[in-house]
Amino acid sequence: MILFPFSSGGVCEMGNAVEFVKINKSFPGVHVLKDISFSVKEGEIHALIGENGAGKSTLLNILHGVYGDYEGDVLLHGKKVSFKNANDAIKNGNISKVHQEIMVVEELTVGQNVTMGYEPKKGPFIDFTKMHNDVDEILEELNCNFRSRDIVRTLTAGQKQMIAIAKAIYHHSNIISFDEPTAALTSKETEALFAVIRKLKKDGITILFVSHHLDELFELCDRASVFRDGEFVTTLTMAESNEDELIHAMVGRSVSSVASRLAPSRATDEVVLKVDGLTDITHNKFKDVSFELHKGEILGFYGLVGAGRTEVMRVLVGADPKLQGDIYLKNIKIPTNWNSTKALSRGIGMLSEDRKTTGFNKLATNIQNIAISSLEKYMTAGFFTNDAKKRKNAEHFFEELDINPKIPDYMTVNMSGGNQQKVILAKWMSTDIDIIIFDEPTKGVDVAAKAEIYRLMEELVAEGKSLIVVSSELPEAMGLSDRLIVMSEGRITKVLENREEFDQDAILNYAIGGDE
Amino acid sequence: MKAMYTKYKRELLVLVATIILGVIFTVINPMFLTWRNILTVFQQMVLNGLLAVGIMFTILTGGIDLSIGCTFAIVGIAVATCCVGGMNPIIAILIGLAVGIVLGCFNGFLVTNLKLQPFIATLGTMSLYRGIAYVVTGGQPVTNVPDSFRNIFNGQIGSSGIRYYVIVMVIVFLLAHMILAKTRTGDYLYAVGGNEEAAKLSGVNTRKTKYIAYIASGLCTAVAGLVMLASLGSAEATAGIGYETNAIAAAAIGGTSMAGGRGTALGTFFGAFMLAVLKVGMVVINVDSFWQYVVTGLIIIIASYFEFIKDDIAAFMAKHK
Repeated sequence: MILFPFSSGGVCEMGNAVEFVKINKSFPGVHVLKDISFSVKEGEIHALIGENGAGKSTLLNILHGVYGDYEGDVLLHGKKVSFKNANDAIKNGNISKVHQEIMVVEELTVGQNVTMGYEPKKGPFIDFTKMHNDVDEILEELNCNFRSRDIVRTLTAGQKQMIAIAKAIYHHSNIISFDEPTAALTSKETEALFAVIRKLKKDGITILFVSHHLDELFELCDRASVFRDGEFVTTLTMAESNEDELIHAMVGRSVSSVASRLAPSRATDEVVLKVDGLTDITHNKFKDVSFELHKGEILGFYGLVGAGRTEVMRVLVGADPKLQGDIYLKNIKIPTNWNSTKALSRGIGMLSEDRKTTGFNKLATNIQNIAISSLEKYMTAGFFTNDAKKRKNAEHFFEELDINPKIPDYMTVNMSGGNQQKVILAKWMSTDIDIIIFDEPTKGVDVAAKAEIYRLMEELVAEGKSLIVVSSELPEAMGLSDRLIVMSEGRITKVLENREEFDQDAILNYAIGGDE
Repeated sequence: MKAMYTKYKRELLVLVATIILGVIFTVINPMFLTWRNILTVFQQMVLNGLLAVGIMFTILTGGIDLSIGCTFAIVGIAVATCCVGGMNPIIAILIGLAVGIVLGCFNGFLVTNLKLQPFIATLGTMSLYRGIAYVVTGGQPVTNVPDSFRNIFNGQIGSSGIRYYVIVMVIVFLLAHMILAKTRTGDYLYAVGGNEEAAKLSGVNTRKTKYIAYIASGLCTAVAGLVMLASLGSAEATAGIGYETNAIAAAAIGGTSMAGGRGTALGTFFGAFMLAVLKVGMVVINVDSFWQYVVTGLIIIIASYFEFIKDDIAAFMAKHK
């Protein structure tokens, strides 16, 4: 490549940083990658896009040496590589990955996290002076506003994300992949991250970028490779493409990525849930929260991360104790010893925000995860549960919600994010609850599954159920809600009573606690 | 049939390994495969089996009950005192079971209401219960338990040599299996062990479920205490020291995950069975009893290593089919 630095076209074009040649990968029972061949040019920002389960993560895991067992070849800078494990890839392949989940050791310093496993040594001891000097240099390069000696626990999510990038620089990586790096970040932190990524590009580093936010891709990326059902579809040049073309390539048909209501509103005046003066007197996460939920409506809760919305919802469904204030379900006050079992029997439940850690049992199959809240439905002889009935119920929802792959015996943990969300929804739809709380329902869910989840919400309200949707994505909150409540720092700052009042700038202003 | 195989693959593997052990013992000394000796194996596994199935309930929820050896001693002492005092043996048995329930309940209280880590909570009650046993008896054994009590467990079916307490153990395992595989409580136990927060958000009463686990542990331990009392005819405060480790070993060999959420009554049964085969077999082939510890230790390590690599083995087998 250095031999032909500025030539273009013909045989002498810019080299490929990464090249996949006929990659095939199977897990027991599933062929996840089928003959994947494409390449990433040196120094570009290249997006990998596709629905959940399309194979992006698997492909990244192969590239980074996590999966050694696959068919086909991976070429880095034209040379075939085969890494023993992720560390081998970092060390010998100069290739690093910034994960979706922020992986840091909270109690150590930034420097220790960045250099972990490869600390500079002075004899048998760690050379802390050199460590912190080296890392500070990198942090300065990345325009970070924290220092190597800071304890990681004291940093924000965005700052912690930078640690992973600093780590990649520390290992002299010339290829860095980002797997949904913005999932845990605020919009401001996202901007800062993009500035860093653009700087890395300028320094000649090749970037692979996975995200479900299409607007991010257009803002940041040069090209995008699209995957569908484990197959490579096409590589598009972002400047010559548009959102519709991208979505069409991803799902094979046209889908609107915008949250909107297709059916007319079902909201009535009947109050099914009334919250009065709810206050968290131990942790001060929320204060004096009062609102009403009407039968058949979708009530949106918008706010920035940390506004206290999830904490309020957890009290409503009995996951956390109710300390101060009153809650009325269908005009009946809830008892003081409120818990999730009572909440279920009184008809209220929640799909949690953090699907991976609190959404379902990782050791259980889809059948078991769907049945767990409605076991009394599958009884024989009044005492024994019946596996055949559980299976039949699961199969019914696999059809109704179009959950894929259509294998009820599959472990839920092996399903894609959107399908896991549908499994959890199937669990609640198996019960008789009529108030369902969705906490960030489309977090980490791809565009097609997103549209399906929105459609399901409309079907639920059409059946007379009432929904609360907690969302940090303003277009989603505005597009779905009949009424919208804005929270800021634990308080309700505004209730917007009808859709005509929804105004993006005003809502953002309420969310940061500003007045009218 | 195939469904049964995929569901209980791990359990069947322990059985196969045990049979292989049995074959080795028989080749060395044909005496091993006599009716009498097989009966001995089952009699040997009763105490450990009962303790193991109890402790398994707590392990399934992601906890542990280290106090079982001490609960075992207290139940023995309580029932022995009642019987020696002339109480009706059936009522004495009910009192014994009640003592097991109460002690298990207290463990449940510490773990759920006070939110103590199960290891620490039951480490505390382990010493606490043992202390109570010493204080109550003054260190003296309670002896001369009447035959009216002992025969309830020690009697045998006709002259077959099958003792009632072996039947009792089998019944306890069957009950445990039914609870785990066929009732809501079973599903809740697995759900709590698999992901407690997700179970809670699904409306599972996680506190009640954990209480049930610790009560089940106390109850199974109480049954073991009754069997011990019947076969020895006396009870003392030092009974059952270290029994919890053998119980954990049986559960672990049978495939119970120490992290919770995974394990079956069948597996634990085979785990306890394997340990009994080993113990009796080593005696039959005249191996010094000290070596039993060495071999038992190795088997635990091999079994858990196998648990760790079984996915690799499955992948290897699938590839070379």
